[in-house]
Amino acid sequence: MINETISRRKFLRLSAGVAGSAAMISAPRLVYKMTAVPNPITLPARLETSGNSQIIPTVCALCPSGCGMLARIVDGNLVKVEGSPMHPVNLGALCHKGQAAPELLYNPDRLTGPMRRVGARGAGEWEAIGWDEAVRLVAEKLGNLRAAGRPERAALLYGETRGQMRGFLERFMTAVGSPNAISHDSLNIEAAKLANLFTQGVYDLPVYDLENSSYVLSFGASLLEAGRNPQRTIAGYGYLRRGRANRGKLVHIDPRQGITGAKADEWIPIAPGTDGALALAMANVIIKTGQFDSDFVHNYAFGFEDFKDDQGKTRKGFKNFVLENYDPRRVEQITGVPATTIGRLAGEFAGNPPAVAILPGKGGLLNGSLNGLAAATAVHCLNALVGSLEVPGGALTQRYPPCPPWPELPDDPVAENGRQAERLDGAGTHFPLARHAYQAAADRVLDGYPVEALFLYDANPVYETPGGEKFIRAFEKIPFIVSFAAFMDESAQYADLALPEPTFLERWQDDYMEGLGYPGAALRQPVVEPLYDTMPTGDFLLKVAQAMGDPVAAAFPWGSFKELLQDRLQNVGTDWETLAELGVWLTPGYRFARRGSARWINEVVGKDRRLAARDGRFDFFSRELFCHLSERSQEWETAVSGDALYLPHHEDVVYAGEEAAYPFLLNVVTLMSLGAHSYNANLPSMQEISGMTVRETWTSWLEMNPETAREMGLADGQTVVVESPFGKLQTTLKLVPALRLDVVNLPHNMGHTAVGRFARNRGVNGMSIMNPASEPFTGLAAMTNTRVKVYSVSRES
Amino acid sequence: MTKWAMIVDLDKCVACQGCSIACRHENNTPAISPEEAAMGRAIRWNDVFPNPVNGTEEAGAYPHVRTRYLPRPCMHCENPPCVKVCPVQGTFQDENGTVRQNYARCIGCRFCTVACPYGARYFNWHDPYWSPEMARCLNPDRVVGRDDLEGPAVRLRGVVEKCTFCIQRLYAAQDRAAAEGRDFRPDEYVPACVQTCTAKARYFGDLDDPDSTVAMLSQNPRAFRLLEDVGTRPKVIYLREG
Repeated sequence: MINETISRRKFLRLSAGVAGSAAMISAPRLVYKMTAVPNPITLPARLETSGNSQIIPTVCALCPSGCGMLARIVDGNLVKVEGSPMHPVNLGALCHKGQAAPELLYNPDRLTGPMRRVGARGAGEWEAIGWDEAVRLVAEKLGNLRAAGRPERAALLYGETRGQMRGFLERFMTAVGSPNAISHDSLNIEAAKLANLFTQGVYDLPVYDLENSSYVLSFGASLLEAGRNPQRTIAGYGYLRRGRANRGKLVHIDPRQGITGAKADEWIPIAPGTDGALALAMANVIIKTGQFDSDFVHNYAFGFEDFKDDQGKTRKGFKNFVLENYDPRRVEQITGVPATTIGRLAGEFAGNPPAVAILPGKGGLLNGSLNGLAAATAVHCLNALVGSLEVPGGALTQRYPPCPPWPELPDDPVAENGRQAERLDGAGTHFPLARHAYQAAADRVLDGYPVEALFLYDANPVYETPGGEKFIRAFEKIPFIVSFAAFMDESAQYADLALPEPTFLERWQDDYMEGLGYPGAALRQPVVEPLYDTMPTGDFLLKVAQAMGDPVAAAFPWGSFKELLQDRLQNVGTDWETLAELGVWLTPGYRFARRGSARWINEVVGKDRRLAARDGRFDFFSRELFCHLSERSQEWETAVSGDALYLPHHEDVVYAGEEAAYPFLLNVVTLMSLGAHSYNANLPSMQEISGMTVRETWTSWLEMNPETAREMGLADGQTVVVESPFGKLQTTLKLVPALRLDVVNLPHNMGHTAVGRFARNRGVNGMSIMNPASEPFTGLAAMTNTRVKVYSVSRES
Repeated sequence: MTKWAMIVDLDKCVACQGCSIACRHENNTPAISPEEAAMGRAIRWNDVFPNPVNGTEEAGAYPHVRTRYLPRPCMHCENPPCVKVCPVQGTFQDENGTVRQNYARCIGCRFCTVACPYGARYFNWHDPYWSPEMARCLNPDRVVGRDDLEGPAVRLRGVVEKCTFCIQRLYAAQDRAAAEGRDFRPDEYVPACVQTCTAKARYFGDLDDPDSTVAMLSQNPRAFRLLEDVGTRPKVIYLREG
């Protein structure tokens, strides 16, 4: 047989015929022939790599975690990033988005230099200009506004920025003479910040000491996906899950299970927008059974018991208010959570100290259901009730590294006059409780607020706000728009000047640490030479200030943004060289303030109150809210009245869309892979993996419970129409059993019409069919009160 | 002899997919076109799956739904079926028990892809493509000597590729130790996925060293291996949730 000439086909047939018999020897013969040459497996192997390799520390900017990063640079190229083990937020770890940072730096769709619009707005016709020309144009515009005595007609919308940049942007607008530096916080974290302000008196997000907690109650806070700083909460969660006798328990309360609910020990599917009622029913049980922290509520809090005010009028306290109104059996009707479960949760929460109730920073359904603030307040009061403030395993207060005060602004009557003007977004006036009402800027412009120059810094309102097309109409009334975006996003398309800033890997910037409590500063530095003719926005605005001359120039005595940082960070505890070498400097160890001590009063309770007493007492009855509202309470369009207004309470959500016609609540979910910035959608790896949970890729999808789908005759994978009173979209239906029957989910940051080749025309943008309203008084975007109906495409035609 | 092994604690893992993308940028796996991705041809040596993968019934009915997620690198089996079926010795177990792939010998028959019960092997249907800008972030490291390049060196169409426990990082760590004139310690080397793990759910080390973290955790009552009954004896060991 060996000597025969046989075809390969015949050989295979022969082998198959005698498989298992002695004729198998043909196989070893084949192996023998191949090993006649040296077996490659036994050869030594070695690593070939470039000797020109270095590691540079920096800080990630792809989400608000601000993780320390080590960039590996080989021959001038960034080839890999790793987490910095020095940085306490991520401790050497890095999420998928951080790992994809090189895809941002080397993204083929980045803008390569400053441009001026030549065609019609939005037509996409541009001409390249020089940076000197750009500085001249912007300085001239602002100079003209100041010369005309209306500097308040300049406005800035800004997105995710922390560290000195945020203060710098606000200072720039203030120095020019405009009150209009408007943050996008009202789209996401503002409900939690305001709730903390009106109870604890701190205008900041509480910090949760997950590591040391025994019982974590997450009210729609998507801790493990897209919370305020997901890397920090994931690290805390990982430590909570360490093997120990009393394993920390995580309970997730959300109509959608999501990854947080899947990883939690218990998932409570709650009726959307009723979190506040659940928290108050738990408070009811805790008070009834006497399991609250009596020392705290009586000695370090205000308004727990009924009290008499200055006029001798008896006011309702938290205790009686909750006992009278929030019996678990009644709340069962509101929330859909059985009274027995409410009782058990309350017992577990009070009986497993330290326990902590967590507000959603981003994601979740508390924010802007037109009862967002009251609900968030109720949740935070649970922490106070069991004394979980400023204790290990409880809710802490973020401290920041010491910075010298900003230099006094020069004497400037034009600017002083401008600063007194009403804000563009109506914060403080139309929305008396708001600090920022980003999405409302468009409404106000359309209502006649004159804006003559608009700056967009990491802001893409056309895409990222509910009903964002209204910004396109608003832009028509603004003669001069400048975008600093690194990509031609939906809003930059309508700009007159596109002045791209470099990616975070090519610029100097600092970032303070958030989420650990103790202060720390981290430094972002260029890890490669800038790829294109871009300029960091900080440097650009400094040049503009210089070009405008005094008095604006006098407010900015720094030659570059790096110089500004060196000046501002001089007191963080180390010198600049060390900070640049390590990328991070911290003062580890949270210093707990003793109840009632000077540090307690100065740092933990009451420090940011503007009107109410800073007496170190946590407000169950919000005095700050009372001071803001008592004279305007008649205007408050609310179901409650009297003292309930100032106490945490539940109001039914006011939905857009009748339930009969629109049976589902639309929940636009922020995914960890795509969240935070529009340009994250243009990272190809993020597009590829964002649909992991439903095995989708490069597109968006609508999640629906299979029971509902079966009743409606809809099947997994079919194309459906999602229609709200504001518009409709077409996308793929995916059946997800871990979801309430009356809620459907759409992922956020899909369906771009611009930004770049990887983001464009991939899926749909849920924001485009959402209720464009704002919460009255608080100015929060109504992110979760839009109802929709879902039907198959064939029915439409 | 060192026996590299990995522990994945599913109680800590939050399915963030950091491992997937760390692997991609360490090992130069391409992001493929949306059309190819929709056909299931995406190459992620370390993928993350929902469990159950398909169908909604197995997870239970609302509200009693149990959803799980499973990150899945190559199991680096002690008894690897892929090595047995390879007709050309293109895939092999090295002296440390790591299952590796010799791209020059691979003839693209995909026997190994079928034989692997974990779906951990990926075939290159096309030459990978990076735009000129994107190509600048490719990892330039190459493991050479055994006939051809290994590790992150770019693979062309027609070959099968897989997780190597970031073999180039092992060589780099050994070279560093040699350059500093000292012995290499097993804790100087971890694959990219272990280094980046956000919840610190992964542990890596020498299973043959009874004092190593992985050896100790492998005895944990929560420890299990995927498809234990098929006899592959994986060296990636999971710890159950709860």
